[in-house]
Amino acid sequence: MRTRGPRLALLAFAAGSMLMVFSVPSAQAIPAFARKYATSCQTCHVGFPKLNPFGEAFRLNGYRMPNQTEDQVKIKPVSLGAEAYKRMWPKAIYPSSLPGQVPLAMNVKMASVYDSSLDDSGRTITHNDFQFPQEVNLFAGGTLGDYIGFLGELTYGENPDGSTETEIERIHLQADSFIGPEHLVNLKVGKFAPDLEDGFNEMWLSTDSGVDTLFTFNPIGLHGGTGLSEEDAGITLPGVVKGVELYGVGAHRFFYTVGVANGLTPPTTSSSKDFYARADYKFGGMALDGDTTGVTLPPENWRERSLRVGVLGYHGSGKGADFALTDENGADFNVEDRTYTRAGVYASWYFDDLNVFGVAMTGRDRLDTFDADGALVNSASHRFSTWFVQGDYVILPPLQASLRYENVTPPSSANAPSIRALDASLSYFFYANVKGMLEYRRDLHESKNYSLNTILRFAF
Amino acid sequence: MKRFIPFAVLALAATPLLAGDIHGKVEAHGVRNSADAVVYVDAIAGKTFAPPAEHVLMDQKNMEFIPHVLPVLAGTTVDFLNSDALLHNVFSPDACADRMNLGTWPQGQKRSFTVKKPCFAALLCKVHPEMEGFLAVLPTPYFAVTSAAGAYEIKDVPNGTYTVKVWHPTLKPAQQSVTVNGATEANFTIHK
Repeated sequence: MRTRGPRLALLAFAAGSMLMVFSVPSAQAIPAFARKYATSCQTCHVGFPKLNPFGEAFRLNGYRMPNQTEDQVKIKPVSLGAEAYKRMWPKAIYPSSLPGQVPLAMNVKMASVYDSSLDDSGRTITHNDFQFPQEVNLFAGGTLGDYIGFLGELTYGENPDGSTETEIERIHLQADSFIGPEHLVNLKVGKFAPDLEDGFNEMWLSTDSGVDTLFTFNPIGLHGGTGLSEEDAGITLPGVVKGVELYGVGAHRFFYTVGVANGLTPPTTSSSKDFYARADYKFGGMALDGDTTGVTLPPENWRERSLRVGVLGYHGSGKGADFALTDENGADFNVEDRTYTRAGVYASWYFDDLNVFGVAMTGRDRLDTFDADGALVNSASHRFSTWFVQGDYVILPPLQASLRYENVTPPSSANAPSIRALDASLSYFFYANVKGMLEYRRDLHESKNYSLNTILRFAF
Repeated sequence: MKRFIPFAVLALAATPLLAGDIHGKVEAHGVRNSADAVVYVDAIAGKTFAPPAEHVLMDQKNMEFIPHVLPVLAGTTVDFLNSDALLHNVFSPDACADRMNLGTWPQGQKRSFTVKKPCFAALLCKVHPEMEGFLAVLPTPYFAVTSAAGAYEIKDVPNGTYTVKVWHPTLKPAQQSVTVNGATEANFTIHK
């Protein structure tokens, strides 16, 4: 079985490369907020899309400045009811407001993608593609009245084969601090990146490629998962969910999330939902709600000395979602991921210009295998583990470097090699909203497989 | 009548009649309006001026430096107040202001800085890169900042002949010799 190793690794790397080429990683830089507050991208970003501690507080505060005053909003909102109408409620509709200008923003990404890998015969296969553009994102973000915020992203992507994709990547409405102490209870509804994974979701990542081993490992297989999925299967850890989430910050530094979301199961076959939760605590630095009482922070707003540690979990059912597989003899099977559970620990350490963060997660999947006639052939649990660690370093404010190591150990029953990848990137900010990147990704199992991408992004 | 003469001499010695003002207009080309030009009397040979004991305030409010341009006499201590409910910083990239960096401080607190020599220093905030202000540290206490229409008035300038200069954050400086004798008008044009 060992001989399967290089081939599987090649497939895994090819899948990973394909993901880099074909997937449309979200690119979060929301100039609509910069316009609203007449402030620089760097107020909230170390360099877009990675948020600095203040940006994280801004996000968790429902896209409002902590302790925001009216005068800080430079584009005055349009009133949908006088303030005194609040006293009239419920005899009148509660007064709200609209953003003073259409809160739209664009992000454009162009990528020169070069990848090289060995095929089964040992021949080197290369691709070199100017993906100009690779994607264009239309963002909408703002607030409605005192308690409601919204964020949306419509993405247009062009594939190497000339086909195009348009997708609502996310759109959600959130009610902030609508009951209880400020920041403690917030509700989010829609399609969004769950707060389960902020900080290491590609939405906020400083590298161009997401953490494939965490988000795209495919646990489906006759004996458990063996490699990365070519499409975001949504089974390992979903990058985006359709659901309802409750989250909040307590005592300035404690953070929690609980959420319920559509899972893998088609709504037509089951009413079951996925559940997730997270809890963490931040020691030192700016508090999660932006509070700085008793903390001395350097003027360089990406710097601080802090440690955030937490746990996360995800559980769901894939009953009714069949994956067609063929074994080595050509026999057809269907596999269902009846239940899947993920549990992980997360840490993020800031030491001035350095931010090291990572996740270690284990996953358990109960896979039911059915033959072509629908008879249950096998039912077994398979466990995989995955982890990554990434270091981001601000060499100079316009020049930033990232280095990431990723690893997945597939279930032992799958007898597949581990997937290991190294990702190194260098970002240069020509302006606060124009960024060039050079990103190198190498398959450490098959060391001749690599990709080198040059990326230009701008937002306005 | 005689008994009034000493009072008249005293009144003259009190100098208001010997001092005038310089007023006029600065026409700034290539910018939205003519505000924020500093018009000042340049160093006067043989004359020095003690800085005021009182501190002068530069506010940071609604993520702006207020005023945008602050003229002070060399040696004046400037208090930088944070009026926002978020952290601010003040630093200057200019050597003449010792490339000072006052750190960060929260709402309601101040940090002070004294620029001893004449200098035009940009003031920036590392936390909010869009914020910009200017400190014009001047050799004499005779200065004014123009309004949006470009109008200015420097009061209580002793009669005499001076070099009057104009400095603007983005436009080229200008100067002219002005003889002050009571109310004196001096107009300037500055451009890129």
